[in-house]
Amino acid sequence: MAVKKDYKDQKLAERLRDRKYYIPDSNPEFIKDVEKIGRTAAHMCYQCGTCTGSCPSAPRSSYRIRLFMRKAILGLEEEALTDPDLWLCTTCYSCTDRCPRDLAPTDAIMAMRNLAFKRDIVPRNFLKTAQLIYQSGHGVPNNAANRVAREKLGLEAEPETTHKYPEYLPGIRKIMDHYRLKENADRILAEGE
Amino acid sequence: MQTGYWRRVSETMSNRHQYAFFLGCIAPNRYPGIEAAAIKTSANVGIDLLPLKGASCCPAPGAFGSIDLNVWYAMAARNVVLAEQMKTDITLICNGCYKSIWEVNHKLKHNDELRDGVNEVLKEIDMEFKGTVDVWHLAELYYDPKIVGIKKLADSVTRPLTGAKIAVHYGCHLMKPAKERHFGDTENPMWIEELVAALGAEPVQYRNKMQCCGAGGGVRGYDIAHALDITNEKMINLQEVGADALTEVCPFCQLQYDRGQIEIEEKFGITWGLPILHYNELLGLAQGMSPDELALDLHAVSVEPFLKKIL
Repeated sequence: MAVKKDYKDQKLAERLRDRKYYIPDSNPEFIKDVEKIGRTAAHMCYQCGTCTGSCPSAPRSSYRIRLFMRKAILGLEEEALTDPDLWLCTTCYSCTDRCPRDLAPTDAIMAMRNLAFKRDIVPRNFLKTAQLIYQSGHGVPNNAANRVAREKLGLEAEPETTHKYPEYLPGIRKIMDHYRLKENADRILAEGE
Repeated sequence: MQTGYWRRVSETMSNRHQYAFFLGCIAPNRYPGIEAAAIKTSANVGIDLLPLKGASCCPAPGAFGSIDLNVWYAMAARNVVLAEQMKTDITLICNGCYKSIWEVNHKLKHNDELRDGVNEVLKEIDMEFKGTVDVWHLAELYYDPKIVGIKKLADSVTRPLTGAKIAVHYGCHLMKPAKERHFGDTENPMWIEELVAALGAEPVQYRNKMQCCGAGGGVRGYDIAHALDITNEKMINLQEVGADALTEVCPFCQLQYDRGQIEIEEKFGITWGLPILHYNELLGLAQGMSPDELALDLHAVSVEPFLKKIL
């Protein structure tokens, strides 16, 4: 809920109405959440656009990271979190390196993605990676052809990871279960079927 | 307990360096030649890579970080703790792993609140993050004169890659964001070019060298055409300078460039045919390893044109 201000002079208030910061469905807590999760002072953004200018995703899509920064500041939570462009950031950190305000727009995007996930908004491939890690410890697990190739090289068929030592898997699953990640991933994927 | 600097000083005296080798996913499970090459080539320059038993996915910073950063911190911390139990620093060969393992290790060391939160979860599996080890990318160890250095690297070369023009893809998560890392300039770094030149090859510069490969942040899985379009732009810039091969220090970038070229062919009808080699594969070739010992036949794009040039 945005702060409501008004001028005592009704004529002046009328004249300035459009220019005042007043958006009925904005959430001032949104920027605070983004800053807390992203660990960056996102409200300092002065909209210079260096981020969008550095972005490899911008020239080939409607994804504009500057727009997301603005929406965060204006508290337009709904708009930002439901925009499919949110998932087009490759997290290359070029914007973060060039930001003249020393912010990390990339981390602000990551924070918004975390907040979207809390509302079950997340592309399926992200959840599938989480499921694979829960099963095998690896996001890209070993396969039959690769085992043959490894042995030809003189390596063991299974690498020295959870693949060779599956006794480490319960620990990994406990960590993921602590945050109910597997449970939520399964549920969201099943609902989308 | 000896950590970081002091361990390195005592190791310099014995001239061998030992590191826990964090494998990640794509190198051991898709390009095992990189793993084999890393172990052999490092041994030739005085680095012994020890197995980090029970390590998992780093976990993938794009996929996991996007869903829930807290899980990402805890899962990466578990991998670091495995090395703490070995009392050995970690080295790794992938930029994605570097982001997870290096950055989480660094953040937990410097932020009590974060560390306490992670340790609360790790306690459930009888582990504790203590912050007693450091994390290094193998390429930075090669460049560091206290560990290997350009001279020692050049001395290990038995088959110089003379006449080959090689472009470098730095990738994103090794050096960026610069303010959290220690590599300095990220607009036009040249240190990996020095590593390439040490092998007798000619490093070439190309437009927009530091641009992302397109795969990161979950974009490869979310919108493959979008990711490939970014890769295609890199290929255009690489072709302009006539590179014989592209080298990188990240198996995920390698996957995107290598298999991506096949996908670009299928989706956009453009054929590039540029051989993609991880720096350790390149170093293996320069140290006399055969293409079979590096499993170069597993590459989607044939490496033959490049091999013809150097063998």
